[in-house]
Amino acid sequence: MFNFLNEIKQNLKNPQGLDLNGFNIINLSGQLLYVEGHLGLVMLSKELISFKVKKAVIMVEGRDMILSELSDNTIKITGQIKKVEQI
Amino acid sequence: MRLKNVTKFHICGLNQEKLLSDLCKKFSLTEIERNSKSDTTFKCSFFEHKKVEKILRERNVKIESVSHEGLAFKAFQILGSYGLIAAALLFSLLYAIQFQFVLQYEVLGLDKLERSEIVSFVKSEFPASKSKIDTEAVETALLDNFDEISFASCIIKGQTLVINIKEKVLPDEMYGEFAPLVAKKDGRISEINLISGTLRVKVGDFVRAGDVLVEPFTIDTSGEQKKVEARAEILAEVYNEGCADHYETYIDVKRTGRKIEQNEITLFGLSIYSFKEDLNFQMYEVEEEEIDLSKNLFLPFKMKKSTFFELEQHTIVSDFEDVKDEFVAKAKEKALKNCENYDLMKEEFFTLRHLAGVTIVNFCIITEEEIGGYETK
Repeated sequence: MFNFLNEIKQNLKNPQGLDLNGFNIINLSGQLLYVEGHLGLVMLSKELISFKVKKAVIMVEGRDMILSELSDNTIKITGQIKKVEQI
Repeated sequence: MRLKNVTKFHICGLNQEKLLSDLCKKFSLTEIERNSKSDTTFKCSFFEHKKVEKILRERNVKIESVSHEGLAFKAFQILGSYGLIAAALLFSLLYAIQFQFVLQYEVLGLDKLERSEIVSFVKSEFPASKSKIDTEAVETALLDNFDEISFASCIIKGQTLVINIKEKVLPDEMYGEFAPLVAKKDGRISEINLISGTLRVKVGDFVRAGDVLVEPFTIDTSGEQKKVEARAEILAEVYNEGCADHYETYIDVKRTGRKIEQNEITLFGLSIYSFKEDLNFQMYEVEEEEIDLSKNLFLPFKMKKSTFFELEQHTIVSDFEDVKDEFVAKAKEKALKNCENYDLMKEEFFTLRHLAGVTIVNFCIITEEEIGGYETK
């Protein structure tokens, strides 16, 4: 099956040998955030959703946010996404 | 109606992030919405909701509400409803079928008649179907077949056939077996107390065992004979005798102690071995015993063992006066054996009869006892 993110990773060729297999985040028009490779929720509210990824925690700030999907590997957040921060 | 089969949970509790992280490892969760710090709603597949609910309960999470939606849920709901409807219909049908039959019989007003007698009669004569039972016919049949019934009424109440019976009032002596009262022993009638029936004896009569004492009927003023139970207390003097014979001279035969054994082994009745000592006794008696030598039936070897005991005889002469008390006691013992169930021992005596070389002791015990009884068939 075609995977858009894998295609990007292959085309980048990765000259510096970076580790690109930790997680993927796609922000679609600030209305939907798609995450692959999460390791568990840390915080959940309508204004702030944070979750663990490999070697980091991602914080998503916004308004009226809900977790549209939560599975073993993926997260789909909908709402008005204002900021995505990795700490 | 939404077609997707989902279940929505509304839960309350702390540390819900950890709970959701754990749940999402096993189930796919959707539309997770945090309403307040301790209040969250989320959806999961309808087919997985029981497993999710089980985990929530194991973790003591308070479930505020659970709601389902989707095509499968509706189908289950409808099927469940139809199942109930079908069960109700089936139950109604079975109930309607069995309601057509009488299942219980209640018999009221019985005193002397047996309930089982009435019920078995009705069961055998009338069908169990309520529509086929004619209560008037039951009443008539009961009146016709039971002389003791003066009135009968029947109704069907639910599935019970209630039979109300009024028995005829008959004197007690008209119940029971109409057999004559007969003498159980020989004796002389000393007292009569007639309860019911017709007397055949009077005080002072001598009767023998088996003689009729009271007939099982009475004759009324119109000369008509009516059956009644023969009942009376009839006391009689019964002569219980015992005798012992004394011989002045008699021959006493005793074993000397000497014996001879003879053995014989047989097969199918044919002698195949025998061991016999010479028998030189003038008088003897024999005891024989047959023993199976093998336990199987193929070769039934048997041993016949005969033991011969030598006898000798002595002539004994005794004077009656020397042993009189002993013989009187013997005769009394025999007379006492005949005394059974007596009410009063009135007198006892003995007589002696001297014949040629023989003295016969007759001991007689006169008892007063109830001698009336019924012949056993």
